[in-house]
Amino acid sequence: MKKIFALIMALVMLTVLVSCSGAKDSGSGSAEKKTFIMGIDPEYPPFSFLGEDGNYTGFDVEICQAACDYLGWEMKIFGVNWDEKLIQLDSNECDCIWSGMTILDSMKEAGYVISKPYYDNTQVIVVKADSGYNSSADLAGKLVAVQLGTSGEALLNGDLADLAATFGDVITADSFLKCFTELAGNAVDAVFVDMPVAASYAAEHEGYKIIDEQLGAEQYGIAFRSGDEALCDEIEKAVAALVENGTYAKIAEKYPDIVNNLLFLND
Amino acid sequence: MSLTTMILKMSEGLGKTCAIFFLTLLFSLPLGMIVALLRMSRNKIISSVTRFFINILRGTPLMLQLLAVTYGPYYLFGISVSRNKLIPVVIAFAINYAAYFAEIYRGGIESIPAGQYEAAEVLGYSKTQTFLRIILPQVVKRIMPSVTNEVVTLVKDTSLAFTVSYQEMFTIGKQIANSQTSFVPFVVAGVFYYLFNLIVDRVMGLIEKRLNYYK
Repeated sequence: MKKIFALIMALVMLTVLVSCSGAKDSGSGSAEKKTFIMGIDPEYPPFSFLGEDGNYTGFDVEICQAACDYLGWEMKIFGVNWDEKLIQLDSNECDCIWSGMTILDSMKEAGYVISKPYYDNTQVIVVKADSGYNSSADLAGKLVAVQLGTSGEALLNGDLADLAATFGDVITADSFLKCFTELAGNAVDAVFVDMPVAASYAAEHEGYKIIDEQLGAEQYGIAFRSGDEALCDEIEKAVAALVENGTYAKIAEKYPDIVNNLLFLND
Repeated sequence: MSLTTMILKMSEGLGKTCAIFFLTLLFSLPLGMIVALLRMSRNKIISSVTRFFINILRGTPLMLQLLAVTYGPYYLFGISVSRNKLIPVVIAFAINYAAYFAEIYRGGIESIPAGQYEAAEVLGYSKTQTFLRIILPQVVKRIMPSVTNEVVTLVKDTSLAFTVSYQEMFTIGKQIANSQTSFVPFVVAGVFYYLFNLIVDRVMGLIEKRLNYYK
């Protein structure tokens, strides 16, 4: 009995192995339709997020889909762990990081191919509407949350280190939603976050306000692995064609919070 | 950032990692014994209720339990989220580990042959005396390897505190990895955990040796 069981198990494992390698073969065989895997932060509205219908959507996702349609590629979406995004890109889990990603000098220094910037971003501070904080100076000695791996965090460690030093402490959370949960639950006094994210959150949830101070200017771009210049070129050309034929503007209309800062539309 | 600054920065977080580790052990080891005794209670209701809770704690991810303990009170009752994250983190860890320790204790206690209880009774030992003087010392010896296992796991599990934004060593490592676009902090973190566990292993080995007084 035991022997038969072992035999069956062995057969099952063999089948699994064979079918796995088989699938891989067919994947590389049908190279006519290229598959492009887009790496996104699945919790980053309005650029990339899980839509009402359970599929990923957002400005970046729609543009990428349109670009892939234009190129005749099949698009797949891969949700990355934002603070490990570049490692996941390097390990071929996705072909690009395209999700409201701020271009950092350190990325270029590390050899990643970065597309032309497509969005002008600033950082803002979100506080509770009834908190009485009206400027970043009011937050001296207070707790401020920021999402780990975002440009906001980089800024607080870099250009805005002086401001960060006046805060009581900077708390890093693994998603911006958790930052807002901390704020809602009074565990922190403010959230330091990208402007479009703050705008869409404050619009959807009552009781929050954005401090009228734009901190740190930066730009969004798409990151590719080092050596993928050709891929970056193809995508950039496809996006340029979308701008040309009006598809880009049409998609942008759906996202009023960000439309004013889109570089391709406001040149 | 130089390797030295990196290591220094991460050492700051190591204090918080140690705080989680020692406080969790401090609370979960005794709590586990209480849970084990409740689990073995002759009262069917008490033992099955305890069993139910142990199953929940062992059957759901510690990460979820951390989120539930930290943010649950706010979402359910509107109670503010604690500013000192160490409190919810230690509560979640202690409860979770108590469930595992309880089952280890139970295994140890039930492995003692019934004959010893009978012999103790014949010799005029009370039930409490039998448990404290005869059973428990043997149980402690028997369960040491399993307890060491859990303690080693605990060292590594401390990194889960990151999910509720507690700034322990691994979180700081991730921050550095991000700002420097570098993999080195993860290597440093790995070395830290390994060294920590090396010490744990030595200490537990020493305790086991001390307890080996019959050989």
